[in-house]
Amino acid sequence: MPKDVSASPAGEPQPVSQPGGRQPAPSSCSGGAPILTTHGLTKRFGDLLAVDDLDMEVCRSDVFGFLGPNGAGKTTVIRLVLGLIHPTAGHAEVAGHRVPGELQEALRHVGGFVDDPTFYPLMSARRNLRLLGSMTGPVSEERIEEVLEIVDLLGRADDRVGGFSHGMKQRLGIAQALLHGPELIVLDEPTSGLDPRGMKDVRELIRSLGEAGTTVFLSSHLLHEVEQVCTRAVIINKGRVVVQGTVAELRPRSLAVKVMTGDQRKAAETLRGLFGSVREDDGYLIVEVGGDEATAEMVRRLVADGLDVRAVVPAHEQGLEDFFLELTREDKSGPARPRRRAGLGRVLPGRRS
Amino acid sequence: MNGTVPPASADRATTSSAAHGSTAAAMHGAHWGPLRREITKLLFQRRSYVIWAGAALVPFIIALAIKLNNGGPRGGEGPQFFSRVFSNGIYVAPGALTVLLPFLLPMAAAMVAGYMLAGEAELGTLRIVLLRPVTRGSIVLTKWVAAMLYLLVGLVLMVASGLLFGGLFFGLHPMVLLSGTTVGVWHGLGIIALACLYGLAAMACIVSLALLFSALSDSSLTALIAAIVVYIVIGVVIQFSYFDWLKPWVFPAYFEDYLNFFRDPIYWKPILKGLEVFAAWSAGLVAVTWLLFRRKDVLS
Repeated sequence: MPKDVSASPAGEPQPVSQPGGRQPAPSSCSGGAPILTTHGLTKRFGDLLAVDDLDMEVCRSDVFGFLGPNGAGKTTVIRLVLGLIHPTAGHAEVAGHRVPGELQEALRHVGGFVDDPTFYPLMSARRNLRLLGSMTGPVSEERIEEVLEIVDLLGRADDRVGGFSHGMKQRLGIAQALLHGPELIVLDEPTSGLDPRGMKDVRELIRSLGEAGTTVFLSSHLLHEVEQVCTRAVIINKGRVVVQGTVAELRPRSLAVKVMTGDQRKAAETLRGLFGSVREDDGYLIVEVGGDEATAEMVRRLVADGLDVRAVVPAHEQGLEDFFLELTREDKSGPARPRRRAGLGRVLPGRRS
Repeated sequence: MNGTVPPASADRATTSSAAHGSTAAAMHGAHWGPLRREITKLLFQRRSYVIWAGAALVPFIIALAIKLNNGGPRGGEGPQFFSRVFSNGIYVAPGALTVLLPFLLPMAAAMVAGYMLAGEAELGTLRIVLLRPVTRGSIVLTKWVAAMLYLLVGLVLMVASGLLFGGLFFGLHPMVLLSGTTVGVWHGLGIIALACLYGLAAMACIVSLALLFSALSDSSLTALIAAIVVYIVIGVVIQFSYFDWLKPWVFPAYFEDYLNFFRDPIYWKPILKGLEVFAAWSAGLVAVTWLLFRRKDVLS
């Protein structure tokens, strides 16, 4: 079943998109104008609707997770935003410049890569960066060394890229993205194919980029990666935004706890009196407590009733992964079709049908 | 990895060029950078050297074969200029041009231009290049210029090799033109240079044709073959008198008009007509390439 965001309490994921009219929604970015927005972005390849009326917003200094299952349209959206392909309808705006109309101006503010970063295999890492940099003006050797140092490739700067491992090429891709100090860095699954150490390094780098104020747009299907690294995220499926918000909002907290006391029967009576219903699982009593305050009150009541409280642990915590699966799950009636959220004037995809 | 990263700044991207070099240098670099990149890329491809080696080798083989044979074909037989080589090494270079112009040079032109866009698409570097703030039009134009420079180097190597081995084996003497006039060595060299530049202009059509197919396809081999097939088909068609009406409009019909430089006075009319046709085809094909490439979805 699709996630019904309209029923969520305040603080739940922000519903997005205004598919009907093209009235731009007010920006939710607190720090001024967003650095990247898409407006009704649509891409059709023949009969295949790869991106469907996509509206999203990336605020400055966000480390923005772009999530979706394989085939959701993530890479197509990135290609559209970077002007590699042309939209069937709609447009994107990067740093206030319309794409594709003002593509060159927009690209001055962006660095990144799409799919696997590729380079000239017979040239060294240094020469590859020099050549790419020279397309928009000379780049100093110091700057080249600086970005190679950032991605820990300075020691291999003069080696041919053809001999690099996949992980080294990924890091070189990040280096070329950083070369001209862009405001927005777009990375398409930068940790794919990396070993755990490489993944950790790249994530740390992304985090530090965010801390330095650079906006990072991180496409990934690795949910824990987005949870670890990103501040905000959007989940897309079938070319549509399903939901977007802060990562904390996208990770609904479980309100259930498991309780173990010296007398479970008596404890169940107390808890039933407090919360109405109690479940039992593997010797534990499970109750929906409603929050931290309620948990504290529950413990006080159990102790006051003379019960020996041995353990109070969170029940299974629903993570971003569960939420993601729930949102992108397809049942017989098709993909998730979230509904309008009252009061915000913005709707989730699916409203038009 | 080192966690040190550049600080974000709203205006740093617009001033990044200046930040990493002087403004004047940045403008200079932005202007020449893409061309420098294309040339460097060509220099890092082994196939570039194979073609250049071929261009230098052909004059050597012509000179060596005629030397070992104690004479070239008799007058009127064999390719143009070959019968004169044994008495004067200066004819090796124009003789090589005669041999190379119909096939090897078009092959080289189609190969280098066919690789320009499709080869980068195959390699995956096209999308990295297109993420730089450079217009697609300037990318097409830069690649066309780079391909022409590559062919110019090939022609220079051919002439240099022809003069070197022609001079070594037979000596360089005043040249007797096709009209019977004798001109000095330097004058002869000037005529050879003009003939080669005409050949280069002819090759601009093949470069433009291959670049068009390179923009249409993501396979450099397809682009190469398509350009050569079109060239050969046109060449075959104009052999038939039925299609004589077509001749004034198609570029292969003018390829041999470089021979008019070897007359005294130079017979400019067909040369200028040929250059007009080459320019029209090249400009038209490059314009179509630009129109198609600027709208192309780069999915490779």
